[in-house]
Formats: sequence, structure tokens, C-alpha cells
Amino acid sequence: MMPVVEVSNISKSFGNLRVLKDISFDVRPGEVHALLGENGAGKSTLIKIISGVLQPDGGEIKVEGDVVRFASPRDARHTGIATVYQELLLFPELTVAENVYLGHAPRTKWRTLDWQAMRAGARALLDSLDSHDLDVDTKVGLLSVANRQRVEIAKALSQDARLVIMDEPTAALADADAKRLLSVVRRLRERGVGIVYVSHRMPEIFALADRVTVLRDGAFIGTKPIGEVTEASLVSMMVGRSIDQLFPKVATAVGETILEMKNVSYRNVVNNISLKLRAGEIVGIAGLIGSGRTETALTIFGITPATGGEILIDGKPVTIDSPATARSHGIAYVPEDRGLQGLIKPQTIRENVSLAILDRLAKLLVVDRRREGALARESIARFGIRARGAEQLVRQLSGGNQQKVVLAKWIATEPRVLIMDEPTRGIDVGAKAEIHALMSKLAGQGLAVLMISSELPEVLGMSDRVLVMRGGAIVAEFDRAEATPDAVGAAMTAAGKHAVAELAS
Amino acid sequence: MTLRSFLRHETILLILLVIALIILAQQSDKFFTTDNLLNQGRLMAEVGLLALPMTFVIVTGGIDLSVGSIFGLSAILLGVFWHGLGIPLPVAMVLAVLVGGVAGLGNGLIMTRFNVPPLIATLATLALYRGLAEGISQARSVRGYPEWFFVLGQGEVLGLPTQLWFLFGLAIAAAAVLGLTTFGRTTYAIGANEVAARFSGLNVARTKLIIYATSGLIAGLAAVIFVSRVSTTRSDMGTGLELDVITAVVLGGTSIFGGKGTIIGTILGLVLMQVMKSGLALAGVKGDGTIVVIGVVLIAAILLGNLLSRNGDG
Amino acid sequence: MTSPLATPRLTAPVRRLATTLEANGQELVVFAVIVVLFAVVAMINPRFLSDTNLTTIFSGNAYVAVAAIGMTLVIISGNIDVSVGSLIGVLATISGTLAVNGYPIIICWLAPLVVGIAINAFVGVLVAYVRIPSIVVTLGMLSVLKGGLISATAGAWINDLPPDFMLAQFRLFGIPSPIYFMVALTILAALWMRHSGFGRTIYAIGGNPDAARVAGIRIERSIVGVFMIHGFFAGIAAVLFATQLQVIQSTVPPNLELTVITASVVGGVSILGGTGTVIGSTLAAILFAAIGSALIFTNVSAYWLRAVQGLLILATVLADMARRRRLR
Repeated sequence: MMPVVEVSNISKSFGNLRVLKDISFDVRPGEVHALLGENGAGKSTLIKIISGVLQPDGGEIKVEGDVVRFASPRDARHTGIATVYQELLLFPELTVAENVYLGHAPRTKWRTLDWQAMRAGARALLDSLDSHDLDVDTKVGLLSVANRQRVEIAKALSQDARLVIMDEPTAALADADAKRLLSVVRRLRERGVGIVYVSHRMPEIFALADRVTVLRDGAFIGTKPIGEVTEASLVSMMVGRSIDQLFPKVATAVGETILEMKNVSYRNVVNNISLKLRAGEIVGIAGLIGSGRTETALTIFGITPATGGEILIDGKPVTIDSPATARSHGIAYVPEDRGLQGLIKPQTIRENVSLAILDRLAKLLVVDRRREGALARESIARFGIRARGAEQLVRQLSGGNQQKVVLAKWIATEPRVLIMDEPTRGIDVGAKAEIHALMSKLAGQGLAVLMISSELPEVLGMSDRVLVMRGGAIVAEFDRAEATPDAVGAAMTAAGKHAVAELAS
Repeated sequence: MTLRSFLRHETILLILLVIALIILAQQSDKFFTTDNLLNQGRLMAEVGLLALPMTFVIVTGGIDLSVGSIFGLSAILLGVFWHGLGIPLPVAMVLAVLVGGVAGLGNGLIMTRFNVPPLIATLATLALYRGLAEGISQARSVRGYPEWFFVLGQGEVLGLPTQLWFLFGLAIAAAAVLGLTTFGRTTYAIGANEVAARFSGLNVARTKLIIYATSGLIAGLAAVIFVSRVSTTRSDMGTGLELDVITAVVLGGTSIFGGKGTIIGTILGLVLMQVMKSGLALAGVKGDGTIVVIGVVLIAAILLGNLLSRNGDG
Repeated sequence: MTSPLATPRLTAPVRRLATTLEANGQELVVFAVIVVLFAVVAMINPRFLSDTNLTTIFSGNAYVAVAAIGMTLVIISGNIDVSVGSLIGVLATISGTLAVNGYPIIICWLAPLVVGIAINAFVGVLVAYVRIPSIVVTLGMLSVLKGGLISATAGAWINDLPPDFMLAQFRLFGIPSPIYFMVALTILAALWMRHSGFGRTIYAIGGNPDAARVAGIRIERSIVGVFMIHGFFAGIAAVLFATQLQVIQSTVPPNLELTVITASVVGGVSILGGTGTVIGSTLAAILFAAIGSALIFTNVSAYWLRAVQGLLILATVLADMARRRRLR
């Protein structure tokens, strides 16, 4: 059977960084082809190239045997490739029907928009996805994430897509919604549509995929029929070595409790969180996107101050109403989104590293440039930041070195509690190991570390204790010894084994 | 290298300035007289004063369109306090400046408390403050200020126009604050990445409040000086002033997108603008013709900046 | 966050009504305020409802409503134009100058449209392709147009306009023509915004530019288009403005840009782009004209008009921010 889409020898670089090297793979009609790899493996870039957002530096794309070149997403769409992005690209102020048909709306004979046909068409598409409860006249801004996702899929279908690319479609979904989505994907497959399916959730991949392709560090590792792989073999293909080697966790003596939360809540996104962080301990938080992990961190850090409950430092209740007060209590937060929340990219390493302690570096409000420079040079040495010097702009650094700058900035505040949110997202494997080693070392020096991660191997490999969050609450706690992928994974989805079986059915 | 690119921009400005001065000196022997130069300095003082806080505003990635209206409101209230309410003139002057500060603080509060973008917030208060000036004054002007009051706008101290002392003093203070202090660092950080600034424990809201309040305060001060210079108050004073101020700042190399800019650049931009204005005046172009040039210069400056920075990135 | 509107409990007609209210709330509010204002002022001073005054309110300010249509499109697309007042002044002067110099009337009427479109095409290119923020471009254009106008005409008024030229003084069935223009253009624009592909594109660009790009919309081209349409409406507004009095003052009508922006914003255009309708902006233009007139009829100084304008914008913007927090 001729593949819907076939890419061969695709390469792509951003500046000096090669993100894709000679990637080849194909998707057949009526096939769910899973695309796997760690964060930063190149999946997103590959998807963007197939959907016309980025142009490859080399290699070619064939659609049903014909070589195509996409100058824009528009071109890709015209050849029948639709993409359901992770960050849903919808228009909140427009209705469901309009969003479905934006850019290719049915016209009346006077070339005006045919609202009748548009609403009826959107209705029919949503019905075919078993989404009878979704009103086509509702503004998309009022819908839940799961419902927006269905609108995105209806949008893809409305363009008679032959290939639908889905980038982590279930990442932000609760279990029931995720299950519904899978049945939608099966319906697409029955229609003969080819599907590229990116997901981190192993059970989904085994339930859905016909073939699996694994990328690692921008390179093609292999394509296998689903019957020929196991979860373990996929992980080792993705990671390239066993987990034990990857996570240099050193056992340390656990000390006194530094931070304690008692029934802390923030509106309805963080619900009655109680936990203790002790000196020298790494506590990992696992959970799906939207489970309240980052929200909990933001509440501890004073971005979204707690609306209920109590936070204690060294046993004394404190009020944390801003990042500044959090910092004065010795709390540091290395945020989830490095570029947006962590760094001032157009500024130098020196300016970034000193940002959180400017007031301490100043005499009579004037910043002491000599001490600042010394701090920057010291940080570069201590954290192994590969840079030309303290005056190099942060945006010129690689992801891993940027993350070290953020870490250095917060360690400069001499914190006692370090919260790390997705500490290795978008970082290559080598730098990951360095960040993990740093984390382990800092814990060894008596810091209490709270780590949030979407990568289960990372959580399991680094944590002394694992907390699992769901729906804004802590639903399970495991010791390092008890924390197996199965147990933690089941707690994350509130499912257990029989749910996985249901998925497969 | 950020520092180097600043210097590069300022060098270009300096060269342009020298060229403009040479051309003007050849065109007219009246230009390079002490009297004319001091008079030009006097004329640019108000815009110059406003340009200092505006540099901070634009470095944070914001804009303040309401300075001209605050200027008008303070000017009117100076007359009303003194002439209408019989408050002693020195007190009235202080009150007029403080009103400017309160108006600026109002801008800041609208932005920080309600998350209204600076452009919109100050567009609304541009109308509101000017409307208050018009409503309070009912188009009546106030004249007859005592002789000592004119020292501020028409007098000299040590051979230099009084207002230039204010401008120099505040310019040095502004340059020091922006370039050397934690406050200046916070200002740049907000403009380059406001979220990261907040996540680094910097007090973003307070910094913005101080900047916009200062902008209003200085507008009030500039208004008092202006009233002293022209000997009268009217409600339409300062209409369109924001354009001159923003042009001077942008011409001085401050990025309209925030995160970049210096006080030295702003002063150079200001002087260059004033030289162009006076050059045009000497060449026989009337006052309204010069605002055409300011408009063109504003667009051209940003155009050039865009092209240069694009080259720099690529 | 699931909306109450999406709950299947509600029956379809109820839901439809709720959606309509949600979509048109601002228009209804403005309309209600107009009705209340007319009622209250008429009680204080019945002459407010006299023929002459109603003509002044509706016909004399129709050009503001027409200009606000174009401004509404610009703001929905996520941009702004603070130079529209100066543009209308320039276009009106061009129109009048041609008329006095004996050019065919139809040319005098069409020239402002063509020039308006051309000037705003230039503005649109600077905004869309050169990527200068629209506030800066139009701030610059404001002074270029205003200064250019004053120095070109030296402030001289244009007198002795030919009678045929006076489009805005023409009446049909006793109703002045500007009212027809205002109503017809508002309805046409509203229909066009709802039923043409480009109309919806404008909402998309303003609502989520990244998504619009990925959806294959040519954003740059669309923004230039929006500014050109805005220039077209400014041209019509200029003709109505130029032909309503016997003289053209050759100056920029004071604060016209703010009045036009106020009309758009108060009429329900979100200043952050992505939402709003031209019906709302026209209603708001009428409301604003009525407020100006009401101040006079209730013996409040007209010098307070601008303060009221400022408060109206501020109040609407704050309400919009509160609404946005709910959506999304």
C-alpha cells in the first residue's frame, strides 16, 4: 500500500544545533503510527516540518508518492495534512462552527459564508466523533480543554485530512476524556486516515498504535510493528541506556523538616495539600499536565498565594504572598518554562545570575559590579556553564547551559528549599545527567528539593519519595523502593490495570 | 554585546548631530550664537524633562500617551489653585506638581491592578486628564503671575537658563538610577521579560507604579516651568507633547519593544530633534511644518532600528 | 472550566438566547443607555427632542460613526490608528479644494476615498511587513498629516463650495443623507463582517495571530487590507464632513481620533483585539453625540465632554478586562 506521507533523510538545524539528522519514516492509510522520544529528541521539529511550519534543510517529503515542498502550513493543509497541536490553536472569541471551518468555510452562491452549512457541517463532524453534547454556537473560549481538543479534531476532519498529526493529545486530559479521545482516534483510523500519534503514555501507545518510530537526540533509532516491542524495549530505545546509569542519585542523610504544608489550597486548582520537605531529601511529584503540580509550586513560591491552609518554615507559620517573600524564607523556584519564566534572554549571564539577589549585591541601591562579576564567574565555574564568559548573552547558550544559569541564579540566593519544575525539559541527554548530578549534590549539601517532572523515569530515578497528584490533590505517596512505573502510573491516571485493559479493548 | 550596540547607536546619533550642526552653522550665522543656543536649550527643557521618565517607561516595554494631558492639567490647576482658590503661589506650584504625580499614579494603578495594557490605559487617561483640564478651566486662561515666578522659565542662574539646571540635574540622576541601581536593573528586566522578572522575586508592580507616578510628577514640574516661560495658563497646553517626547526617546535608541535604552541616548535624541526644529525654523519652515518632520523622524528612527536589529540577530 | 452554556440541560432556544446575549451584550447596553439618556434629558428639557437637535445629533455626527466602522475593523485586528482625525481633515480639504477648483463633483467625492485607501495602505505595510507597532506608525502619521495640512493651507478656510458638492445637505424624504450613509454602511459592514471570509479572518487575526498563521491565513496581507478598508471609510467620513457645512475649516477636527476610538471601544470592541461589532460602534457614536448635546441642554458646560469621553473609555476597558478574565 502506498504511504500517505513518506519523509526521507530529513535534516534540520537551528544555528549550530542539529535537531534532526537523516530522519526517514512513513505513514500508511488507516494506520496509527506512534512517534516516540524523550523531550528534545526532535519529535516536535519533525511534526512542524511535516505540517509546513518549518522547512527542512535537507531531505524530501512525499505525499502519496509525489514530492512536495511546503512553504507554509497552508500548503501542507491543501495536500491533506492536518495537525492537532499540543497548544490548541483555536480562536477563543469565535464559535465552535467557525473554528472548525476557519480558512475553508463553505460559501453560498454569492461567495458569502454559508452559516447554515457551516453549522450543519460542524454538527455532523462532532456527531461523528460522538460529541453530541457540544453546541456549535458556543464560543470556544468557554469550552474545557477536552472539548477544545474535539473541536481541533473536527477541524482536521473538515479539511478531508488524509494525515492527522496529533501532538500529545491526551497530555492535558483527565482519564475519561482521554479514553473518549482514543475512540475518536480509532474512528479516524477506520476511515482510512493516517495518524501520527505523539504521546508519552505507554498504555495508549500499546492500545492504539500499529507501528512505532523512536527518535533520540534528533536521530532515527528505528521503526517497529507494535507486536515486536515491549515497554522496556521502547524505553531503552528512547533513552539509549538503562535508567540506573542515567540517574546518579546519591543516598544522603535526611535531616530536619524545613518546609511543611498543612491543607494548603489555592482556589480550586490546589486542594488541601499537606506535605513535608526535609533537608537533604529529593521529593518528586508525578502527575499529568493539569493535575496541579505546577500550581502547587506556584503557591509555595507566592505567585498564586495560598487561599487556605498553612505553610510552615522550620515549624513556624509564614505568609508567602510574593516571590520576594518566598525568597526571603529561603525558597527558590526553577520554573517550568525556562524561556518565559526563568531567563532574561537578551541579557548577559552576569545580569541573569544576579537578578534574584540584586538588593544584596547593592550598596545604597547601587549595584556592586565587581561583586556581581565575581558571582557570575564563580557560577560559571561551579555549575560548569559552557560559555565564553560572564558577558555572553544567555540566548546564545544551549538549553542545558541556560538551565544551569537559572539554577545558578537561585542557588545564589542561598536557599534551603529548591523547587525544580521540569528540570530537564528540552535538554539533551548529556546535559540532563549534569543537571541530575547537580541536583543530587545540592541535596547532599542539605537542601530540601521538590522536583516536578512529566518524565516518569526521572521522577523514579531521582526521588527519595514520590508524591502523585491528580485533580489538584495528592492522591498517593511512595517510598523510593515502592515507586515502580506501574504503581505510580496507575496512581496518576487513577486507573490501575483494568483501565489499561479497557483502553486496549 | 548590548553595551557595544548602545554605544554604536549613540555614536551614529553624535555623528548625525555634528553634521546637522555644521550644516546649520553654514546656512545661518545666527545659529551658533550663545543667545540662540541658550534659547534653544530653554525651548527643549520641557520635552527633555518628560523624556527622562519616558525612557524608563519605554524601557519597561510600556508607553505613556497621557503626559501631554497631565502637563495641561497641572498647568491649569496651578492657575486655579493660585488665582481661583487664593493659595499662595509657592504652595500652588507644589500642589500642581503633586497633582501630576497623582495622575501618573492613577495610570500605574489602572495598569497594575486591572492589567490594562499601557497603551490603552494612557489613551483613556489622555482623554480623561485633558477633559478635566478643559472642564475645570472652562477655557479661561490665567495671567498676571508675580515677577519672581518667571525666574523659573525665563530667568538665568549662573548664565544658564534656570530650567536647564533642572534638566541637567535630573538627567544625571536619571542616568545614574537607570544605569547603576537595582531599580534600573529591575526596569530593564521588566522590559526584556516581565514574567521572568516577577519569577526572580523582583517587585514588578511597585517598579511600574513608581515609574508612571514619576512620569506624572515630572510632567507637573515641566508644566510649572512652562507656565513660567509663557506667563499664562491655558487648558490646551501640552497638546501633542507626547509625540515630541516619545520621538526623542525612540530617536535616542530606546527600543519601543522594551528592554533597551539609555538616558544618554535620549538626551542626544532630544538635542538632535531640537537642532532639526530650529534649523527648519531658520530655513523658513513654520511651526506646523516641523511637526511633519518629527513624525517622519519617529517612523524613520524605528524603521532603521528594526532593520539594524534584524541584521544583528541574523 | 466548563461553561454553563455548554451544559446539555439547557434547551436549544435558551442556549441560543444566552449565546446571542453573550455576543451582543455591549450593543444592548449602549442602546439601553441611549434610550435612558434621551428619556431623562427630554424630561429636563423637551427641546432636546426637537427636529433640529435630533438632526444635529444623528446627521451631524454620522461621519464619526462611519469612521468608527473602519476603526472597529482595525481594533478587532489587534491594531490601532490614532491618526484618523488628521486623515479625515486632510481628505476633507482635498475634496473641498478640488470642488472649489471646478473639478467634476464625482471626482471631488471619490478622490478622498482613493487617497484615504492609498495612505492607509502605506500605514498597513509599515505595520504588517516592517513590523512597526501601529501606535507608533499612526502617531507619526498623525503629525505628518496634521502638520502637512496646516502648513499647506496656512489654516485658510475653503469658502464658496459649489451647491452640487454638498452631499451631506441632501435630503431624501426629509431625512438628511448622512443618516442613510450611516445606517446603510453600518448594516453592510455588519453583514460583511459576519458573512465574508475576510470579515471572519479579521477576527481570527486579532483573536489569536499565531493560530491564524498556522491556519494558513496570510496575516500581513490581511492587515494591509484592514487598513485599506479603514482608509475607505475615512474617505466617506471625510466627504460627509466636508459637505455638511458651507465652509471647510482646513484643520483637523479637534480630538476626532479619540472620539472615533471611543465609539469603537465603548461599542464593544475589545481593545485587545478579536471581538466586537460595527453596530455597537455606530450606537456608541450616536450615544457620544447625544451626550455632547445633552450637556448643552442640561446646562452643563460642554467643556466637560472630553472628561466624560475619557471616563467612558476607561469604564469600558475595565469591564472588558473583567470579561476577558472570565473567557479563556
